[in-house]
Amino acid sequence: MKQIILLISLFTTFFTVAQDCNHVFLGEVSDYHDKTPIIGATVYIKNLDKYTTSDADGKFKIKNLCKGQLTLVISHISCETKTVSYDITGDTFKPIALEHHIEELGEVSVKADATKRETSTAQEATIDSKTLRRYNNLSIGDALEEISGVSSIKTGNSIVKPVINGLHSSRILIMNNGVRLQDQEWGVEHAPNIDINAANQLTVIKGSGALRYGGDAIGGVVVVKPSRIIVKDTLYGRTIFGGQTNGRGYNIASNLNKNYSSGWFGHVQGSYRRSGDFQAPDYILSNTGLESLGISTRFGKKTFESGFEMYYSFLNNEIGILRAAHIGNLLDFERAINAGRPLRIEDFTYDINVPKQGVTHHLAKVNYYKRFQNFGKVSLQYDYQNNRRQEFDVRVGERRNIPAVDLILQTHSILADVNLDSNLDRKYNLGLLGRYQNNFADPDTGVRRIIPDYDKYDFGVYATTEWLIDDDLIVDAGIRYDFNRIDAKKFYRTSRWLDSGYDIDFNDIIVGSVLSGEVQEGTIDFSLPELLANPIFNYHNFSASIGGKYSIDDNNKVMLNFSHASRPPNASELFSDGLHHALARFEIGDIRFNKEIANRISASYNYTNSKFNFLAEVFYNRVNDYIFLRPDNSDLSTRGYFAVWIYEQTNAELFGIDINATYDVTPNFQYQHKSAFIKGNDLKTDLPLIDIPPFNTTNQIRYYNEKWNNFSASLKSEWVFEQNEFPDFNYQVTNQLTGEEFTIDISSPPPAYHLLHFYSDATFNFKGKTSLNVAFGVNNIFNASYRNYLNGLRFFADDIGRNFTLQLQLNY
Amino acid sequence: MKTNFLNLNSMKTSKLFIVAIFCLTLIISCSDDDDNPAPVNPTELFTNVTLTFTPSNGANATVVMEDIQPNGQGGGGATSNTVTGAFVSGETYTLTLAATDASDPNDVDDLLNDDVIPEADEHFFVYGLNTLNFTMTRDANDVVGLDGNKIGVNTTWVAGAASTGNLSITLVHEATAVDEAANNNLGSATGGEEDFNITFTNVSIN
Repeated sequence: MKQIILLISLFTTFFTVAQDCNHVFLGEVSDYHDKTPIIGATVYIKNLDKYTTSDADGKFKIKNLCKGQLTLVISHISCETKTVSYDITGDTFKPIALEHHIEELGEVSVKADATKRETSTAQEATIDSKTLRRYNNLSIGDALEEISGVSSIKTGNSIVKPVINGLHSSRILIMNNGVRLQDQEWGVEHAPNIDINAANQLTVIKGSGALRYGGDAIGGVVVVKPSRIIVKDTLYGRTIFGGQTNGRGYNIASNLNKNYSSGWFGHVQGSYRRSGDFQAPDYILSNTGLESLGISTRFGKKTFESGFEMYYSFLNNEIGILRAAHIGNLLDFERAINAGRPLRIEDFTYDINVPKQGVTHHLAKVNYYKRFQNFGKVSLQYDYQNNRRQEFDVRVGERRNIPAVDLILQTHSILADVNLDSNLDRKYNLGLLGRYQNNFADPDTGVRRIIPDYDKYDFGVYATTEWLIDDDLIVDAGIRYDFNRIDAKKFYRTSRWLDSGYDIDFNDIIVGSVLSGEVQEGTIDFSLPELLANPIFNYHNFSASIGGKYSIDDNNKVMLNFSHASRPPNASELFSDGLHHALARFEIGDIRFNKEIANRISASYNYTNSKFNFLAEVFYNRVNDYIFLRPDNSDLSTRGYFAVWIYEQTNAELFGIDINATYDVTPNFQYQHKSAFIKGNDLKTDLPLIDIPPFNTTNQIRYYNEKWNNFSASLKSEWVFEQNEFPDFNYQVTNQLTGEEFTIDISSPPPAYHLLHFYSDATFNFKGKTSLNVAFGVNNIFNASYRNYLNGLRFFADDIGRNFTLQLQLNY
Repeated sequence: MKTNFLNLNSMKTSKLFIVAIFCLTLIISCSDDDDNPAPVNPTELFTNVTLTFTPSNGANATVVMEDIQPNGQGGGGATSNTVTGAFVSGETYTLTLAATDASDPNDVDDLLNDDVIPEADEHFFVYGLNTLNFTMTRDANDVVGLDGNKIGVNTTWVAGAASTGNLSITLVHEATAVDEAANNNLGSATGGEEDFNITFTNVSIN
């Protein structure tokens, strides 16, 4: 039968085509990267509506071609489908290169969750777009708590910073669309300036294994990525409306994306969020409102061989800080603790008064990449960030409109990266980084600078490699060198200079003493109250990482990783010397600090079958010259007692285990568990480390039914234990008037708490691509009163109470 | 042809890009300057607080209590806290307050008259006594602040039985509630924070 059809078709061809149709086309399909032949690629001959396949050498032959244009569509599993056209004038031979690892382009359909890992062997977890959308009315820090081992350190409930395995701030590196975020991240009350609405995916890499991002990520790396670029003609967008009862908040976010099959793309995105005073179960948390505006846009061209992107994002946050947390001295602090509730509770308002912070962050980047056959990919990037941070304090008279802290941090970076992937079994990645940073502290605040003016220069070079030993074993390794130089101009009160003993070693860096508001260059007079110094410090940092991933069988996998990282002290740790008005505390740095050096070893075990997934991650992190801020004692002044917090350097160890498990009880019912246990010790004093997250465990049951408009409902239990291991830094203060002594308890952690949350959503599909997702949630269902050890405002007020949330998400 | 990956367009882009980066590097390296930053002139520092008790009978000595902290709430520097003179039992004294920022000796700010009194409803003085016998009243011409309470700028002190002890003065900012009559007119405040809290020791009534 087949033969007959073939014969007939041959016959017809012969007779219908009259002219010279006897040309032969010979094609050779190979991998773009390493030129290996691709066997069994499907070749569709468009003109003839016929199919053929490539042979064992990647070759295929088409006979009896007529003169004219020949269009071929070549496809292969896990390859980018390629359409090529040739003018046939005679017998022709053409090599055709196919891109064999399509995931690099991210061109898989939008639906697929296939996420590419940032590293091969480090402990890593990703929050996908769908989960992220639940946090649209919250922050990056809140969303990251989805990952076991990641908690957050907070100031109130709107300023949230991620803590990865007990480490935070400068020890965590945040990459926003390929740009390392530079936003005064040293401060506990400085949350990352990233609009969660602009993010499509968050990845956390625990530890410093991802060397291409930096060598100082002793805690870890957070990679924030915008949506992937789809190379096809499409126009899509999403608009989200949300409302929350607690704080009477509302948010709107929208984005629009236009892509072309030629690779051109343009995206715009904007979001606005507003909230009034939040509410604890028993009272209003006065002055905790916030207003946030974010805009981002990008455009460029993306093809497999080359592309570029221009990206700009803007974020402006204004966040109120609990009014009752503003204290004048330690007596006020003692009264606040004893009261057990805020001493200032007012009616609900959307107004944000002092104390408050306002931060504006601009980020602009441009990058370009090009792929070379048989070699790899070369990328170049330049980025600029401008971060302005203003902190407004409770002040008298017209000064209340002048910020007490006003910093402008500008950063320029240049990055060159070469990715050698012509041999997929032996990948190499090399790169160079240059960075210049300038910090300007406005003197018009009328408050002594807490951070001085400085210039900072960074230079980095790195090389990483990944070897596929066999199908079951992957090994990766990397080394990195960073040079940092900080050149600061800092005013010291002469009394502080002498008290710190800087006159013994550092008199040579004094520029001059200050007389009547003028710096007298070359004059050192310790009887004058103030002096200007010019500390210049250089740091050489080496970091390295090595790891392996071994698949024992289809179900069992183990990973092992060792990383060595080194972090120079930041500007705050070196130079901090000032009053944090809102917290009534002095923070004092030390210019004698060395860099921190961390050695972290981690092991993971993963078991997967069709119903059950289990992941256990253990780590041990030894940090030499670990720098931390601790309450020291009190300082008596006109204003009464101030808490003095000093930066100190010690040797520390942190170790712990993170557990993650999911079990599909039935196809519709899923059970999810995660917990994290961590311990931190100061090896010099044998005390536990301060601010280590207590043991916490989260259990969730979820019901999902695709037939009911993708309906899902989940109940989540969050249990946070009391931190029993904490250093006792309490001290005694004497009431000057009565001579009475009392203890300032700034160390005791709050008791354990348990919270229950509900979340439910459904998606309604309309014509075409349009769909509406409706989500309803209740946080803290039982309106439980609780305080969190890692919340700076825990001394003054309870955390927020019950919150009903509703979100409409329109995709089009 | 589309398959030619070394196409002209991308060459142009790459060259442009490199030139742009080069220019930027130049701009960055040239914008460096070596000027010294301006020193901050700290404001609202209560560096000098003086209490002058003037007796109604000129024959008795004036008692002066002075607290000087050149760095204000910063602590440190040449601080002093002194009481000059002694009270006489039965004598009536008028208290005159002075609170200044003298961190720049050439530009002394009168914080009491420029900031505290104009914003009387945000400020309140609380006095404290320990083992000292005084009868204190807030004068009729005292400045009126929050909820009609006299803030305690103008006060009269009658020295009681001979005693030795401590006297404190606290300036409370933005209290939620104040009471001028509490503690025998010494006053009390809830909420708010203390702008200063100074105790003078070894005060004596002879």
